[in-house]
Amino acid sequence: MALALALHPVKDMVVGVETALDGTTLQVGLEELRRHVLEDRRLESVDLEVVNPGDSCRVGYVFDIIEPRAKEPGTGSDFPGIFGPIANAGQGTTHVLKGAAVTVVDGGQPGGEHGHVTRRGGMTKILEMSGPASEASPYSTMCHLVMVPHAYSNVERHSVLNALRLASVKAAVYLGKAGVGQPPASTDVLDLEGPHINGRQGLPRVAYIGQVHGHQHGTDSDEHIVYGANTRGMLPVPLHPNEWLDGAVVISYSWGARGLETFYHQNHPIILELYRMHRAGDLTFTGCIATVASDLQQELSRNSMLAANLAKWGLGADGAIVTKYAGGAPHTEMFETARWCEQLGVKTAILVSDTAPDRRAESAALMQIPGVDAIVNLSEGADVAWPAQPVSRVIAGNGDVAATLASAEILRSGDVCGVVNNQGASSLQSIVY
Amino acid sequence: MRVVHYINQFFGGIGGEERADSPLEVRPGPVGPGRLLDQLLGEESHVVSTIVCGDNLAAENLDDVAVAAISEVKASGADLFVAGPCFQAGRYGTAAGAVCAAVKEKLGIPAITAMSVENPGADLYRASVYIIDSGDDVSRMQPTLAAMVRLGKKLSAGEKVGRPSEEGYLPQGALKSEFVEKSAASRLADMLLAKMRGESFEAEVPIQATEPVPVPPAVTDLSQATVALVTDGGLVPKGNPHQFPLAFSRVWGAYSFAGEEALAPDDYEVSHGGYDNRHVEQDPHRLVPVDTLRELEKHGAIGKLHEEFLSTTGNGNPLANSRRIGREMAKRLKDSGVDTVVLTST
Amino acid sequence: MAQVTPMTPVAVALGSNRVIRGWGIVYPTGDSDLPPNEERDLRRRIVQQALDALTTEGRTEV
Repeated sequence: MALALALHPVKDMVVGVETALDGTTLQVGLEELRRHVLEDRRLESVDLEVVNPGDSCRVGYVFDIIEPRAKEPGTGSDFPGIFGPIANAGQGTTHVLKGAAVTVVDGGQPGGEHGHVTRRGGMTKILEMSGPASEASPYSTMCHLVMVPHAYSNVERHSVLNALRLASVKAAVYLGKAGVGQPPASTDVLDLEGPHINGRQGLPRVAYIGQVHGHQHGTDSDEHIVYGANTRGMLPVPLHPNEWLDGAVVISYSWGARGLETFYHQNHPIILELYRMHRAGDLTFTGCIATVASDLQQELSRNSMLAANLAKWGLGADGAIVTKYAGGAPHTEMFETARWCEQLGVKTAILVSDTAPDRRAESAALMQIPGVDAIVNLSEGADVAWPAQPVSRVIAGNGDVAATLASAEILRSGDVCGVVNNQGASSLQSIVY
Repeated sequence: MRVVHYINQFFGGIGGEERADSPLEVRPGPVGPGRLLDQLLGEESHVVSTIVCGDNLAAENLDDVAVAAISEVKASGADLFVAGPCFQAGRYGTAAGAVCAAVKEKLGIPAITAMSVENPGADLYRASVYIIDSGDDVSRMQPTLAAMVRLGKKLSAGEKVGRPSEEGYLPQGALKSEFVEKSAASRLADMLLAKMRGESFEAEVPIQATEPVPVPPAVTDLSQATVALVTDGGLVPKGNPHQFPLAFSRVWGAYSFAGEEALAPDDYEVSHGGYDNRHVEQDPHRLVPVDTLRELEKHGAIGKLHEEFLSTTGNGNPLANSRRIGREMAKRLKDSGVDTVVLTST
Repeated sequence: MAQVTPMTPVAVALGSNRVIRGWGIVYPTGDSDLPPNEERDLRRRIVQQALDALTTEGRTEV
């Protein structure tokens, strides 16, 4: 399967009447985009703002960050099953506005239920564009279209979240279309034959097994995660790496913003690293398996076993990188999946995230399984924070959040988008001394 | 730099096991391995005195030996304390660890020892004292002392101490977050390839064995037993009287349901950020099965259901904190005459 | 003590000796998708397993 990424670098974003890409300047017709987004009758209004690198600006709470992309007409569907009709993602040509981002803010009451900020879509994550914290996040170097959709007050919370999801992909595609018809600065062709590839004898065969959701927080019936499916009861499913990168997968709502953004599905650090090593002749990348962490014990065991079986017998892998979604159930399922893999002779490396509040190693590793010994330790940064500098502009979902962000004194690393990333982009490591 | 060195009777040249009860003595200058230590310290630094003590005497009088060591270090104006290397010798390692910990705590000067990871002193003192990993082979005296000197100089100068694998000490178990050169994705791929190629790699999490918990004997007659319900799923009476947080709870509560046949949903709520709480809030028995146990109590299958359930929020809790909560809960249950417990965990 | 938990691997890893599989993370002793009488039966079964473990010598993992 071959996917051509037509890369259009964006270095500046400006407001204009029409949306157009002029060299590396993206002009955004805010009113046209507004009309487009408000076609969703659940939305009463939408705030649209342009934020560029270096702007003294803080944004929150972030629902998701997406890279603006659009399919070359006739070569596929944009976010199939989520925005466009079901079609095989990962083939044809996709225009990418490299350096631009759509950042969507929850204009509802994030974490409104019981004030539980950890529930459905209510993470307190922010986009920080200036000051010391911004230097640790790649998002601060991008040009953002920040969008705050406001739903009518009688719309149910799950429907508000669904409206945020639709608005987010709609805007990403809308901006991405500015690249269509323009000659790209460069084209990156991602071409991978899959498990049946010939002529690479002797190279390690490696698969990626990644969780796309953790069901300890459930999903809503109208929630989109994989090709539009809400992943309830989902069995592990093989995905071509190109599908994963090309809009088949978006993040779920809960824990959605904490260390996970759709941007890093589109630019999945592990998939891209395996692609790079495949091209360099270090290994053969045989494919990906998307799975979910279950809230049910039976399902957890079943999914772990099936994911390992797929890696071994479906993708013919003799090694796999296994990663988790955020939380304890995903942690367990990741270890179980790795345990099954090792039993089948598929060697594993896994990614744990350390949240230990007492900063003691004994609190960090919940499980010890023989053979599951290659462990990378991502820090969720309980001991990393920066003084919050005053900013001249705050973009927030509502007045309460605006006041909180404007008067913030400390920014914790886990709260700043792009610093802690469970998809593997993060370079914040937890080290045992 | 002035160094005081602690060694046992064997390295002090007094004798082997038959002299293990030799009393503590202080000798001027370096003794035994201290001569090599003195050389490695270089021109500017010296072993000013050596404490020699029999292994048995030290093991039986750890506090007295520590007090004597502290007074010698103080008197000699030392700015570094070194003990060992002890390799596999258990009593020696334990004494070295204890004395280093005491010197460090009382005098605030750096103290270093060395032993093998299997030495019982290692587990006892690795968290509080820098212990260079000597292995169990006494012929590694020279490289071990060299690593002790390197680390000792750094500590004295107040320089940043590197990672355990760089400096050669046993990990102390403290976690620090650092920005590193490579992303997690790239480290994962590198580590996997190394593992697949049979090359060495270093996990970023210590592989630690949890100690097995002895299995308590079975309950002989349930129909005479008092059964209690405990949960870490965060069920609390409405209003959350002990203010359980959503994670990292340091508190727990005991909540009475005396006289009630069941838990009424309106009376309870959940404080736990790790799972979707709606199901338990609709029906608390999905977490704390009072209804079922009441039935069993009525039918005589169990002697009695203890009239309160114990609850905490088990979400990301540090192990030490969980152990404390467990001990406190166990005491409460024992004191209340509870015979056995059903614990429900989310 | 018998521990009812859906995350049995964690319980075992941390040294729990009598481990019973709980139904789900969001409801260890229930299932909101079942009709009430079936849910009560499910709960009785799980609780009975825990009591059986408590009256049996040695480790249990079911």
